Amino acid sequence: MRVLRMNKRHLPEFLEASKQFGELWGPVKKGEVYVYEHIQDISEMSLQPQRTLLPLKKLIYPPKIKMFQYEGEKYQDTQEEVPRRVVYGVPSCDIHGLLIMDEIFLRQYRDPYYAIRRERTAILGASFCTCYPKSCLCQSMGTDFIKEGFDLYFTDLGNYYLVWVGSSLGDDLIRLKPEIFNDNISRKDLSEFVTRKSSYTQEPCNIIDMAIIPDLVELSSEHPVWEEMGEKCLECGACTMVCPTCNCYNVFDEPYLNTETGKRERYWDSCTFNGYSVVAGGHNFRESRAERLRLWYWHKLNSFGPQERPACVGCGRCVDTCPVDINVLTVSKRLLGDKTKQALSTKAKKP
Amino acid sequence: MSDFQEENPFLPEPARIVRKYDLTSDVRFFQVRFVDMERALSLKYLPGQFMMFSLAGIGEAPFSISSTPSRPGLLEFCIRKVGEFTEALFDLKENAIIGIRGPYGNGFDLERIKGHDFIIVVGGLGAAPLRSLILYALDNRDNFGRIYYLYGARTPADMLFRKEFFEFIERDDLGCLLAVDHDPDGDWPCYISKVTDLFKYVKNIDVQNTYAAVCGPPVMYRFVIEKLIALGIPKNQILMTLERRMKCGVGKCGHCVVGDIYTCIDGPVFTYWDIINKKGLI
Amino acid sequence: MEKKKVGIFSFSGCSGEQLMILDCEAQLLDIFSDLEIKTFPMAQSNNRYSELDIALLEGSITTQHQKEELQEIRKASKVLIAMGTCACFGGVQSMLLGKGGWKDRFMKVYENNEGLYREMAAFESQPCSAFVKVDHLIPGCPMDKDQFLHTLSHVLHNTKPHLYPFPVCTECKWKENDCLLNRGLPCLGPLTRGGCGAICPSHNLPCVGCWGPAETPNTTSEFKLLLEKGYSREEIIRKFRNFGGAVIADRLRKILDKIK
Repeated sequence: MRVLRMNKRHLPEFLEASKQFGELWGPVKKGEVYVYEHIQDISEMSLQPQRTLLPLKKLIYPPKIKMFQYEGEKYQDTQEEVPRRVVYGVPSCDIHGLLIMDEIFLRQYRDPYYAIRRERTAILGASFCTCYPKSCLCQSMGTDFIKEGFDLYFTDLGNYYLVWVGSSLGDDLIRLKPEIFNDNISRKDLSEFVTRKSSYTQEPCNIIDMAIIPDLVELSSEHPVWEEMGEKCLECGACTMVCPTCNCYNVFDEPYLNTETGKRERYWDSCTFNGYSVVAGGHNFRESRAERLRLWYWHKLNSFGPQERPACVGCGRCVDTCPVDINVLTVSKRLLGDKTKQALSTKAKKP
Repeated sequence: MSDFQEENPFLPEPARIVRKYDLTSDVRFFQVRFVDMERALSLKYLPGQFMMFSLAGIGEAPFSISSTPSRPGLLEFCIRKVGEFTEALFDLKENAIIGIRGPYGNGFDLERIKGHDFIIVVGGLGAAPLRSLILYALDNRDNFGRIYYLYGARTPADMLFRKEFFEFIERDDLGCLLAVDHDPDGDWPCYISKVTDLFKYVKNIDVQNTYAAVCGPPVMYRFVIEKLIALGIPKNQILMTLERRMKCGVGKCGHCVVGDIYTCIDGPVFTYWDIINKKGLI
Repeated sequence: MEKKKVGIFSFSGCSGEQLMILDCEAQLLDIFSDLEIKTFPMAQSNNRYSELDIALLEGSITTQHQKEELQEIRKASKVLIAMGTCACFGGVQSMLLGKGGWKDRFMKVYENNEGLYREMAAFESQPCSAFVKVDHLIPGCPMDKDQFLHTLSHVLHNTKPHLYPFPVCTECKWKENDCLLNRGLPCLGPLTRGGCGAICPSHNLPCVGCWGPAETPNTTSEFKLLLEKGYSREEIIRKFRNFGGAVIADRLRKILDKIK
């Protein structure tokens, strides 16, 4: 991978130049949280990577979109113009999340709505992990670093960045401002990188033992945790909305008043909702909240998607979002039971 | 897959309802053909696969294909009126245009079943997907060993494709056993029993080299599987096709997941061994 | 195509739904030109009807006269749609439903006018569904313009309108709001039907439940959560019942004994 050096003071200049590719988006403070927003003036945005309330999926797979329109039974593709975007400040956990979403949306029967946004979005990742100390689990999930899925990746080494070029588009972005990048990476830079990386990992965020959790989930289908959590679950759907790897959606038709035309739309759905698995005739395959939560945690902590791996990327959003403390951390702790203390006190082995 | 769908797999293609008639009081038979004749004739599918039907303003729903790929051109379905979508579908007349897309799902692995004895066990509306399979097997009769077709319905009036299946009874290359639970009019010429009671007539099969395909109401599975296991048919040779809520049919919307399995693309045909291993499939 | 005959009727409420229909600026001409509007008290005089394809009702039912009129409308209409939280669930005027003491409250407000009490034959406010079959709900206080148009379009096409299956919280997350419950505020988002676009939480105001009760919320868990946050039973019950009408009254009756 091509690696370059860039002085930190050049970052605003570079981001300004990147607008030649498309809209610049970045983390902006909104009350107590950060959200990705379209940036007009660089001073509005945080140059530090931030964990935003909704992950990057909100731009690649928006909460609600029009799919196509119909006239009688004629269905017409009406793919709307999707702007080119450059998103800066994406933490590695979000990029990991996107790689898992890719497995679903870009596999067989490629989803054109997802694909076009994915193609038109340049992802400028940034390290190190933004670890919200209370909620982050990236080290347990192995998502604190990333090797693919970005166009550029900015590694913060004090007063300069090492910039990893992850795609040909990333390389094109560099060429917008070649004079601020330096190709000569010295041994000193590398040792600085190694020092930063190792000193950073010595301050672990929440550690859950992912060597054992997937098996525990597999073997704990009768564990009381599901009933307990099911009793508490508010069925608000917030965990699924903020999760970088929740892909479910619902579809509905919107006819236009007194004409034969209309549109088909889709919006984020949640497997925590009661009607999620109801089939025609009324049978509900997952009637209890406990069963629905078990499905969610199966996906996050046991296996999901074609690669059958846990879909949790350790961003900790569910930890900070759920009003009744149902999240990957509390569920894992409950499943670990007596092992919890031990697993939490020592830095557990990475998966 | 057509070019049309390669661009956008969610976009339904126009198809015509060529013919329809009632099989029972609430189940209707539909013959459907792509408006594009070339597409209609070149469509490839497997028994056990399904199509997504679309009605503008109402939405989409998945339906098993009841016709056999060995008789190309027309797609056939048997559909029970159970909800908003099917009510609207039942209101349509011949020649009406609907949207369809597919075929989707894994379907039955015919290559695997080839050369084996074969028992097909049907309960009620389970005939929808399994009619495709039995017709396919009969059209390619030389590819299979001994074939049994066991079908149970509540009453004679509930039996789907009655005329067609009565003709099966006349054939000497097939053991067709039809049963009803009740016979209110007292004129049912075949068995009056549960479908599971028909197993005693299944003879001379090489159980280790037998495949079974089962589809019916959820309550039926357990009892039928018990019988098949008792016969000695290996668990991974017992095939079942399942129903789930689906919004996309192509492994995206998530509604049909069971564990990490998407019923729409990893299924809807599973072996009994899959089902033992994946909690929640039945 | 023959124009559909539509009646718009107003019972006890603030007439917010009629106002919302008039506020459909871009579509108002279509509504008036494509439909035969038989009654619309806020927009036209001479409101008479005999047979209707669609009846749109706002407001709750609180007098014998209203109840009879509602039953007449039902008989005359093919499709009956309740607009707004009052018509759908009873609205704020049903907040004490089932608590008893209705006559005392009436007398207090109307200065012990026994004659008026008999004449009005009034009773505690109820949703339309307490007396007749309601085909579709358009919740909201007032209802949302887009949901009104969505429902009307579907009904005109003989198809079923789509009600969002999610509570306020779902859209609140789409709006990227920090959860108000997590900040200790008594937000009713999890108990309340979505579709409003989470307007209040987006302005840092906790949801008061004006879109009406969600279909399968976890009322017990929300109750316990608010107790933990330091709110008293009485406060919580009052908040729940504010817009909860008969539905929440019923849910609370089933769970209150079990919440310590």
